[in-house]
Amino acid sequence: MYRRLALILALAGKDWRLFWADRRAAALGFAVPVVLASAFGLLLHRPPGDPARLPLAVAADADGPFTRAVVADLLASPRLDAKLVPAAEATACVADRDPGVAVVLPKGFERLPAGGDRPSVALLHHPSCGAERQWAEGAFTEVVMKRLARERLPTFLAADALTPPFEVAAAPVAAGGGSPAAFNAYTHSFNGMTLQYLLFWGMESGLMLLRERRRGVWTRVRAAPVPLGAVLLGKALATAGIALLQVGVTFAFGWAAFGVAVTGSAVGFALLAVAACGLAAATGLLVAAIGGTEARARSVCVLAILGVSMVGGLWMPAFLLPAWVRGAALALPTTWAMRGLEAVTWEGRGLRAALPGVAAVWGFTALFLALAAARLASAEARRRRGET
Amino acid sequence: MPGPVALRLEEVRVRFGAAAALDGVSLAVRRGEVVGLLGPNGSGKSTTLAVAAGVLDPASGTVSVDGVCRRADADGFARKVGLVPQDHALYDELTAASNLLFFGRLYGLGGRDLRRRVGRVLACVKLADRANDRVGGLSGGMKQRVSLAAALLHEPPLLLLDEPTAALDPGCRDGLFALLGRLRDDGHAILLSTHHLDEAERECDRVAVLDRGRVVASGPPGDLFRPRAAGRSVLYGHLRDVLPKFLERAIRQRLGPGVEFEVTGRRVRLAADSPEALGGGLALVLAAGATLETFGTPPAALDRVLRRAADAAAEGAPCTAGSP
Repeated sequence: MYRRLALILALAGKDWRLFWADRRAAALGFAVPVVLASAFGLLLHRPPGDPARLPLAVAADADGPFTRAVVADLLASPRLDAKLVPAAEATACVADRDPGVAVVLPKGFERLPAGGDRPSVALLHHPSCGAERQWAEGAFTEVVMKRLARERLPTFLAADALTPPFEVAAAPVAAGGGSPAAFNAYTHSFNGMTLQYLLFWGMESGLMLLRERRRGVWTRVRAAPVPLGAVLLGKALATAGIALLQVGVTFAFGWAAFGVAVTGSAVGFALLAVAACGLAAATGLLVAAIGGTEARARSVCVLAILGVSMVGGLWMPAFLLPAWVRGAALALPTTWAMRGLEAVTWEGRGLRAALPGVAAVWGFTALFLALAAARLASAEARRRRGET
Repeated sequence: MPGPVALRLEEVRVRFGAAAALDGVSLAVRRGEVVGLLGPNGSGKSTTLAVAAGVLDPASGTVSVDGVCRRADADGFARKVGLVPQDHALYDELTAASNLLFFGRLYGLGGRDLRRRVGRVLACVKLADRANDRVGGLSGGMKQRVSLAAALLHEPPLLLLDEPTAALDPGCRDGLFALLGRLRDDGHAILLSTHHLDEAERECDRVAVLDRGRVVASGPPGDLFRPRAAGRSVLYGHLRDVLPKFLERAIRQRLGPGVEFEVTGRRVRLAADSPEALGGGLALVLAAGATLETFGTPPAALDRVLRRAADAAAEGAPCTAGSP
């Protein structure tokens, strides 16, 4: 019994020592969860005086003091980040998700609470903004009921006070003439998770290169008449090819099991898929170029990939993030790739809607490739001179 | 008989930061000969091989294989070198044949010709029947042979092997050297590094001894490791029991000043000016009642070669027993 315990302790001690053998990697093992938790907390934290505000467009077909007062209340609501738009532009705003929800006060709204037919308030929403629609409906109802209670209490009480004196008619709006019915949560999930996994695959590919160095295979390759550029391009080609296969298999499964479909431009989808796979390959080379040891590179990459996935909207609706984060997300390739994929999958939009995403992702790919190539070439030159 | 020079290093200097890793190394390896690089850790053996393989650029000096200088024609140089790195440097996940096909393609080989070469080199290293086995599942000796096969694929005149027997058992070691002997007879020039003096003595046609980045001795091992006529004969032994101090003193008195007798625990060392004097001393020790469990003369030791080289350098004479 004692002997077995001693054996287990010896084995555990060995793993303990192995963990600490690369001290920087060990330090990263503690730093990464701390940084991740802190960063995510920073992104999601709302101070008590600064609650999350739902972006909302407000339009009014009606006019009058009551309507203007309600509009003013909506614009001033601490729960809403409302802006006033002309009624004719409300649909276009929602189609562009700028913002994803709009409330249109109808003619007859000024006469609230009117007897007989209740006026129908249109609540336009982007198909991906189901949660925001519910939030907007609740906030809107609260604002109107408060205003009614303040200005027209006797009339309001004479009416059926248990029921709001208006109806809310929710209407999904899809961009580019696509069918709103094409959206399902699986589509968003398959877009986001596929992109995230491509980045993880890129990381693995980069780590493979670090392993090749450690095993000495890199020395054999360097001794062969092969230019460094060819080695890197070969690596990138394999990584991108496998990534493309992963995209194909993932979306084929999504289509067969959950109805995930490309309802817009198939060419746009293909261009985005190829661009995202190129990004995965470039990410891999960048990992190999700046990675250091495998354990260190893995820790840093996991941190970076989770960060750009979350901020890029691969996990959850972007409105949950502060405005500054939404702005900063435009500097990430994941944001553009996700927007493009959403446009050509369930939004049903054409090639033109995918092109900004394609261009942005290729731009980032070229940047990553250039950085990786420069760094690897410099490292190779130093190694040849015996400086490393 | 060795043929023309395949590898030539002339006054090669390499610096790792402030330290000189190679300090004016000159070396020639001819076709049809096996040259061993011998030296303690950090003496520059692997660095010499890296320079010869073209993966490390010297700060000064020239490196050429079959007259092709790396600086002038890097690709042509690479095609003339077959490198067997110290680690097996293979993809464990791939089969032996897949590894060889990949490394062959790096040298511009392909198609039927490459497949034919893969079959041939696998047969050469006696692994034809393991072609489709994953390298990760092969023994250390087999991996070493696959590694050698990878270096032979493009039929280079020069083979470089970095500590090829470091992880091999004696049987595998003998097999590898038998193979290298055949390659030597086929006209390959072979340069290998080793820690093992006996290996260098037995298997190499010439040996270059490196110390602190310099070739301090070179020549046929028989000449290089032959005991000096003026050298002392030494015997090491292991006592069955610890010798009482009085007995140790008595033995020392009877041996006289010509024979050294040192006892450390149960280890004894006897040294004399001649083998005869040593034999006499040993007989006297045994007659005094000491029982030796084991005893023998020491193998030729690397430090002795290095010491002799240092002595020669101090006297101003190069310690060379053949061509450089």
